[in-house]
Amino acid sequence: MKFLCVECDEAMALVETRGPDRGSMTVVFACPGCGRQTAMLTNTSETQVVRSLGVKIGGRTMDAEPMEGIRAGLAGRSAEAGSGDSKCPFTGMVNEAFEQRAITWSEAARSRVERIPSYARSMVVRGVEEFAREEGAAEVTEAVLDRARGRMGM
Amino acid sequence: MKTYHDIATDGGSDVAGQVASQSHRLTGRLADVRRIVAVMSGKGGVGKSTVSVNLAASLAVSGARVGLVDGDINGPSLGRMAGVHGAPVLRSGSAVLPVESSEGVRVMSMDLFLDDESLPVVWDAPDQVGGAAWRGLREAGALRELIADTQWGELDVLLIDLPPGSDRLPTLAGVVPRLDGALVVTLPSAVSLGVVGRSVRMVQDHLDVPPLGLIENMAAHVCPSCGASDELFPAGKVDVLARTLGLRVLARIPFDPLLGRAADEGRSYPHDHPDRPAAEAFNKLANELQAILDLP
Repeated sequence: MKFLCVECDEAMALVETRGPDRGSMTVVFACPGCGRQTAMLTNTSETQVVRSLGVKIGGRTMDAEPMEGIRAGLAGRSAEAGSGDSKCPFTGMVNEAFEQRAITWSEAARSRVERIPSYARSMVVRGVEEFAREEGAAEVTEAVLDRARGRMGM
Repeated sequence: MKTYHDIATDGGSDVAGQVASQSHRLTGRLADVRRIVAVMSGKGGVGKSTVSVNLAASLAVSGARVGLVDGDINGPSLGRMAGVHGAPVLRSGSAVLPVESSEGVRVMSMDLFLDDESLPVVWDAPDQVGGAAWRGLREAGALRELIADTQWGELDVLLIDLPPGSDRLPTLAGVVPRLDGALVVTLPSAVSLGVVGRSVRMVQDHLDVPPLGLIENMAAHVCPSCGASDELFPAGKVDVLARTLGLRVLARIPFDPLLGRAADEGRSYPHDHPDRPAAEAFNKLANELQAILDLP
């Protein structure tokens, strides 16, 4: 969708976006020639379509996070600005689960754990991550792995 | 007065650029994947997921590096069937790592993100009832993320198990432009064959994705004691459909209650029951696919 200033015959440029507010977004455009502003007000379906496409009105300033649409869409932070609450206990749980699992692994630690036979690897990964969380570590390094091995008796 | 096509940009959001960026991300992620194959059927309940998970296992056992995507966003099941449900999803930079099954099949499914299997997949929206305009986009976006945001590494083949419906392959083809083909699963029942035939015709007439062949599931019941085979449906109908469509029947998978039990328990059927007729049929299917796609 594009906006044209009829008087100047100039394409209007995006100025700001607001919302969503009760499912509606306000997107303000201005004519670079005369400065006239106009606002596009989306209805809830239009807002949903934009969100479903995985694009951001106003443009992106950084790359999308992995599984961003799934996490944001299912975890469903409320469309109401500032509420921050999930509307559904289930969808909130999805995000919680992902965040809990989104612990990172150093390359060296990952290489070591990948040498474990695949049938046992998931169990070991779970145990090591649990250990790392208890330690307050955000990343599993070789040192964390060694300490976890000691506790797990490996 | 200027028209839409006279104006180069959308004023600042660069929506087209964002969509192109999504596409580049997916292309980059699949750069080391040799072949991408969909497992489809127009009909539900014919065993697509059973075929997918066991074909993947058979391919992996034969030495291929295999990835498996659960394309069923609303009813994911491959996590459980592949025995990886509940396994942690590790983040690695801009992607997440797939979870490996006991045979080393790299699996990605919504199943892995959902701890509670009893609750439905519900997208955040002001109104679930009025979702006709956006629900399909959400599901296509989720499918794209499951493929594009997973660090597959080097794969010989990535299998994508689709939910039923003749609209699913076109959606996938929109998400993944370089599909090498589709395996079509059917039961030998007249009801299934009619629906499957229509969906294959749609693929042949409207998509640039070659159907690689038919897979006849529940082809017969083979007595485990004496080896006698009983037809579950009148024989020969799948061959008639295959001839009509110009396709080959790549495998005939006999009915085996142990297949269902293995799926429920997340155990590998080909590993646990290598001598059963259905395991042999999956091995044959794996060999056929390797030959068709020139896989190791």
